[in-house]
Amino acid sequence: MGRYVIRRLLQALLTLGIVLFLLHYLMALSVQVRGNPALLFFGGERTPDPAMLAQVERLYNLDNPCYERTGDPCVRPFIERLQNYAAGDFGTTLNGNRDVGELLGVYIPNTLRLFVFSTITLVVLAMVLGTWAARHHGRVIDHSVRGTTILIDSVPVFLILLAYVYIVAVPLTRWARGIWDTESFMGQVFRPNYNPDYPWTTIIVPGIILGSVGLATLTRLVRASQLENLGSDFVKTAKAKGLKQMRITVVHVVRNSMIPIVTGVGYLFAFMLSGAVLTEGVMGIPGMGRMIFGAVQRQETNLVIVGLTISAIVVVVVSLLVDLIYAALDPRIRYE
Amino acid sequence: MSETLRVIGDTLPGADLNAPLLEVENLQVEFKVRGKSVPAVRGATFTLEQGRTLAVVGESGSGKSVTSQAIMGIVDDPPGRVTGGEVRLHGIDLLKQDEETRRTVRGNHIAVIFQDALSALNPLWSVGFQIGELFRVHRGSTRAEAKKRAIELLDQVGIPDAKNRVGHYPHQFSGGMRQRVMIAMALALDPEVLIADEPTTALDVTVQAQIMRLLKQIQDERHMGLILITHDLGVVADVADEVAVMYAGEVVERATIRDTFKQPAHPYTKALLRAIPRVDTVGQELEVIRGLPPNPASLPGGCPFHPRCWAAEDKCSTEVPPMIEAAPEHRSRCHFATEVYTNER
Repeated sequence: MGRYVIRRLLQALLTLGIVLFLLHYLMALSVQVRGNPALLFFGGERTPDPAMLAQVERLYNLDNPCYERTGDPCVRPFIERLQNYAAGDFGTTLNGNRDVGELLGVYIPNTLRLFVFSTITLVVLAMVLGTWAARHHGRVIDHSVRGTTILIDSVPVFLILLAYVYIVAVPLTRWARGIWDTESFMGQVFRPNYNPDYPWTTIIVPGIILGSVGLATLTRLVRASQLENLGSDFVKTAKAKGLKQMRITVVHVVRNSMIPIVTGVGYLFAFMLSGAVLTEGVMGIPGMGRMIFGAVQRQETNLVIVGLTISAIVVVVVSLLVDLIYAALDPRIRYE
Repeated sequence: MSETLRVIGDTLPGADLNAPLLEVENLQVEFKVRGKSVPAVRGATFTLEQGRTLAVVGESGSGKSVTSQAIMGIVDDPPGRVTGGEVRLHGIDLLKQDEETRRTVRGNHIAVIFQDALSALNPLWSVGFQIGELFRVHRGSTRAEAKKRAIELLDQVGIPDAKNRVGHYPHQFSGGMRQRVMIAMALALDPEVLIADEPTTALDVTVQAQIMRLLKQIQDERHMGLILITHDLGVVADVADEVAVMYAGEVVERATIRDTFKQPAHPYTKALLRAIPRVDTVGQELEVIRGLPPNPASLPGGCPFHPRCWAAEDKCSTEVPPMIEAAPEHRSRCHFATEVYTNER
């Protein structure tokens, strides 16, 4: 078990290192090919004073000569950046000269809140629907569950978001406020946009909508793995042992079904990161997704790298967690 | 014995200890396949006495495994359903009992060993947990007690270093050792009836012999009734007392093992015996039964064996043969049972 954990940890670190370097190399290439983003500081078109440009370049760590040579991997700035990150220094934005670390302090909790709600929605809905469909295998309930989840999944998430914001949210909020106080939970929960005074309440609905991404996939996974285990020989053995149906389900079916489900959740988590860009954009949530999108648009090299670094860390950590949960669930992996 | 009495009194009120241990009478099981009812077992009848071994022999699809599942009450429903007949344990018809009583019977009175121990054991729990589970659920034992009993059982079925092995998982055992674990699990609550459903099919020949010997030894020690389900007449020759040969969901011949081997009274049994390779016929071509087992969804009219039978006559394709007593305690479901028995056919 110990060796398994250490091996997976080292693999995770190696993956992260490779991802970070590729990210850095891509950004370096974009600077080398497309031009120096420090020019943006002077409003694009005008030709700035060389001395001032040099100063700005130094300020944003863009003064290394490697940025002039197309194809140069720029190893030195890469190492410097890692050192800065380790020291908690994430640099400043080109636009408005704000401290990136401070911005992250606002954006990360918002995105995490969003993910809390969407992960709960996804897992709970998929488990309930998948189990329900498996129990009524081949009957109307089974077909309706599969049909509905595929329907939800085939509508792009931004369409659901737009439909919510422009059609459902306003009348629903008006109705809720007619009954409850504007400042109450019910008065805020259906708002079509984020309200920083209610950081939890106003993120519930966007979280649920984002959680519907991948619902069909996970529901089918739950259904398939439960069906497989319900029909397995060891469930037959458990019945022959005179165990109650409840104990058979809890002890002999659920744990065995968890392995593919954990894989699915890990995979969908990475998938939801891209959904977060849309959700945060439409619902006006100041989070990581919106930050990365804006940073790309404004050519904020530093901000893009910080944002993608964090998302890469999240993906690597989640897959590490998935591997560890595997080992906890399945002795065949633990003792491999 | 006194403990057995107490348990039977507790869990099976009205049990008659003078009645045969297990009687299966006219058992019928159907499966729903694409909206159609397909009979898997069509009136199986046999009796098992205490301390005796009954071999249920038949090809794949003859309904022998479904019969054992129906006795246990674990036929998958849907698609399967027991539609008729009686399964009497100490005179009590189990099919009429409620689910709670049937659940108590499983493990306590009747236990089963499945063919493939690797898939019949849950891969995610230690063998100790899976054996101990029986004591915890049926006897209310603590985890520590259950583990202690599990070690004793593993030791009894000949697993070396049981104290250590109790915490191991199924994939860490060899095929033969896994089957021993299954046997330990079946023995845990000291059942009166043990059903072994092809217990050695998945094993090497040398291991097969060891497992059969272990089953026999345990049966002698505990005076259990043993139902040995197999497709291999060779395996049962030296362990079984009686034989029930199944074909197309029904028992076609019932007799003692001696009689069956010496003087079969059903053409199917005769053909099966001829298909066993023997040392004294080396060099001759091995006989096979021509044709395939019938599809239960569309059985031939009359005797279901007639299309493959060398002795068939016109009436075999129209009239269903009754069970005929070809000799005392030797029954055969064939129009010409007596002639087959006396080798006139």
